[in-house]
Amino acid sequence: MDGCSFVVPRGKISGLIGPNGSGKTTTFNLLTGLLEPDGGQVIYNGENLAGLKPYQIFRKGVTRTFQVTRIFREMTVLENMLSVTGLGVPERVARQRAEELIAFVNLGHLRSEYGGRLSYGQQKLLEFVRALMTDPDLILLDEPAAGVNRTLLQHLLDHMHRLQEQGKTIVIVEHDMNVIMNHCERIFVMDYGVKIAEGPPAEIQRDERVVEAYFGRRR
Amino acid sequence: MERSEVRGLYLLAAFLACAYAMPFVVGAWTGTVRLDERWLGNLATVVIGGIMQGGVYAMFAVGLTLIFGVMRIINAAHGEMVMMGAYLTWVCFFYLGVDPLVALVLTLPVAFLFGVAVQKLLLNAVVGAPELTGLLITFGLGLTMIYAVELIFTTDFRTIPYAPGTVRLTNTIAVGQNRVISFVMAVVISTGVYLFLKLNRLGKAIRATALNAEVAMVCGIDVRRVYLVTTGLAAALAVAGGALVSIQFGFNPETGVLYTLQAFAIIILGGRGHYLGALIGGLMLAVLENLVSLMVPNGTAMVELAAYGLMIFVLLIRPGGLMGVKEG
Amino acid sequence: MTRGEHLRNLVLLGACAVALTILPHALTVYRRSFVLFTMMYVVLALSWNIISGFTGYTSFGHVAFYGIGAYACAILVADYRWHWIPTLGVGAVLAALIAVVIGYPVLRLKGPYFAIAMLGAAEGTRVVATVWDSLTHGGLGISLPSAETSLETYYAMVTLMLVTIVVAYGVGHSRFGIRLNAIREDEVAAEALGINATLYKLAAFTLSAVFPAVAGGIQAYKVLYIDPPAVFFVQITIAMALMSMLGGKGTVIGPIVGAVILYTAQELTWVNFPTAHLIAYGLFIVLVARFMPRGLVGLAIDRGWVRKGMIH
Repeated sequence: MDGCSFVVPRGKISGLIGPNGSGKTTTFNLLTGLLEPDGGQVIYNGENLAGLKPYQIFRKGVTRTFQVTRIFREMTVLENMLSVTGLGVPERVARQRAEELIAFVNLGHLRSEYGGRLSYGQQKLLEFVRALMTDPDLILLDEPAAGVNRTLLQHLLDHMHRLQEQGKTIVIVEHDMNVIMNHCERIFVMDYGVKIAEGPPAEIQRDERVVEAYFGRRR
Repeated sequence: MERSEVRGLYLLAAFLACAYAMPFVVGAWTGTVRLDERWLGNLATVVIGGIMQGGVYAMFAVGLTLIFGVMRIINAAHGEMVMMGAYLTWVCFFYLGVDPLVALVLTLPVAFLFGVAVQKLLLNAVVGAPELTGLLITFGLGLTMIYAVELIFTTDFRTIPYAPGTVRLTNTIAVGQNRVISFVMAVVISTGVYLFLKLNRLGKAIRATALNAEVAMVCGIDVRRVYLVTTGLAAALAVAGGALVSIQFGFNPETGVLYTLQAFAIIILGGRGHYLGALIGGLMLAVLENLVSLMVPNGTAMVELAAYGLMIFVLLIRPGGLMGVKEG
Repeated sequence: MTRGEHLRNLVLLGACAVALTILPHALTVYRRSFVLFTMMYVVLALSWNIISGFTGYTSFGHVAFYGIGAYACAILVADYRWHWIPTLGVGAVLAALIAVVIGYPVLRLKGPYFAIAMLGAAEGTRVVATVWDSLTHGGLGISLPSAETSLETYYAMVTLMLVTIVVAYGVGHSRFGIRLNAIREDEVAAEALGINATLYKLAAFTLSAVFPAVAGGIQAYKVLYIDPPAVFFVQITIAMALMSMLGGKGTVIGPIVGAVILYTAQELTWVNFPTAHLIAYGLFIVLVARFMPRGLVGLAIDRGWVRKGMIH
């Protein structure tokens, strides 16, 4: 990635799109400290996060999910939830919060099941609510819709809007254009590690450069 | 190469420079470094001896690197296979009266079959499993071999008196005949294996599988057969190494652990799965060991520390080794 | 796990403690020392399990800490005329310090490379103990002044074992333990969820080094003679690993069960076939790793005999 700059609006849902291999996940990795940038800055709440360790960034209120889910496979659903640190609350409270969250995505009856035995869609949901354990301010979702069935997806999107109403900032990477166009207020488009366009959905849909990036240059 | 990799290489070079300077510093401190003609002769002798010894190390380390390259299994029983080779040679020498080099004709096929059996019974089940499973299984195999040999031969140290004379290069520089013979044999065998991998059809299949097992399978390579041959070949290399070690040093059932760690150190230094790397690593380790044993008091015990230290530090500084690239 | 279950386990442990306290008076000297060594292996297996079972960093070199504890006790008692009890504390502190020094760099290695590096570190410790003869008497070993120690060491080992079980149980049922599990499952994801993996791993490693050091000290005072090959014996590490794996690593009850079964089996075969039992050891590792990677407890859970968490 080179010469690529974003300003994500606070308290809004933004979308990050681009063809395969354009650098979307890499962007998330840079934001959350999984990759260390060679240069440049990540400003969050007026603070530069570049060079911090992933756990430090997490504790500043930035959380994420992964494109291919990374739940803890040989731990139960409840243990997955309780593994999150930085809550600063007694175990009983943490447990209650975990129960609420897993009930919310209809996983309550599976609380003692191993994470690895859940279906892929259920794993996505578990990862989503696990990221919410600490009440984060900035939530980065890497393809939340992939492999989740329609009803659950609607449920998840509703919850996303509710979080936004609470003042959270959300960024999603997604290939499902319905999700992006109907739920994001601002969209960033990347190609080959560079931002090629940004704007509200209606504008992006008409943008020549975006169409080019996805479908190739028109003759 | 990425920037962090270049940095790792510099760090490694700096570390190696320190490692090689260490025996000299300790030697100067304790007064074993004298800078007269005799001492310089000794120095040249141990460096040349180290290179000779390194050829043998490199040869058996190649066996370890082959298995790792093809199957991603770390064979913790490799040193025990070397030890087994030493005992096979000893039996041939004392009971059958066969010359240790001629004995290779008998021992290598046995070793190859042993490797094939190990592959069939144990390793086939763990190819593709987490690396730790293979490590544990081969570790268990190694222990079994140690104690089986101990049961038969006891823990006594054995030696094979073979070509005890020395080759005199100058007045002060002399190298043991057995070392020279071992070195020549190691070079011959290593070259043979290298040519096999480069030119032979099966050898090419081994290299293709090491690059990408799935693609190799799609291209019609019988991967199972490649695995069998690889482990057989690795076991043969280890046993050949054992034969060449046995005519230079004493051994007992537990020396296998040292050979395992030396082979690890070598392939970690050179780069895992890298043929040429194993050669460089072998020479470097053996020279360092010899420098330590010349200059550091209590040197023979400290030699082991050289291998462990080298291994741990290289793992930490540049996990990919000299020739390898960083692994994900 | 519910509060009732914790209480039940506590009562069980208390009953064990009482039984073990009364027991030695009903036993011959040989049987008493058999029970002592069984308890020692329970301690070793449980400790190894904290770093290798809970955290997933398989150590092939834990015998180093056992040896350090044994040497701390032997040197201080034989050369400096200390009472033996405080030497156990010295051994524990020393082992913890060395664990931090070794662990900080080596815990950055993953999977098999950590295992190999630890194997090298333990062999290195043995070489140091052999070479540094002004302190350790080198290969000659150290003889401790003899004393009537059979009951003292027995009760020391009972205490150590109870403490180790309580600590391991506490770790296994706390959020600390859950986070160690998270590191084992996926270290990157764990870091992305706010877990300072470096710190947690180091804490687990240090904790797992302390108890073997104390056990080593008690053992030294029990047998009254130590030398490097005996207390830095690779097979002790292997026993820790094998016992945990057999019972079920990553659980609390697993290593206890594994240690009791395996040490008993070892003692029975040892009496009859001195070398064969070591061969059996190697074969056993192969078989357990090949066919029962989750151990007896894992087997029981998979078969639905017990609920997960019930005996965990």
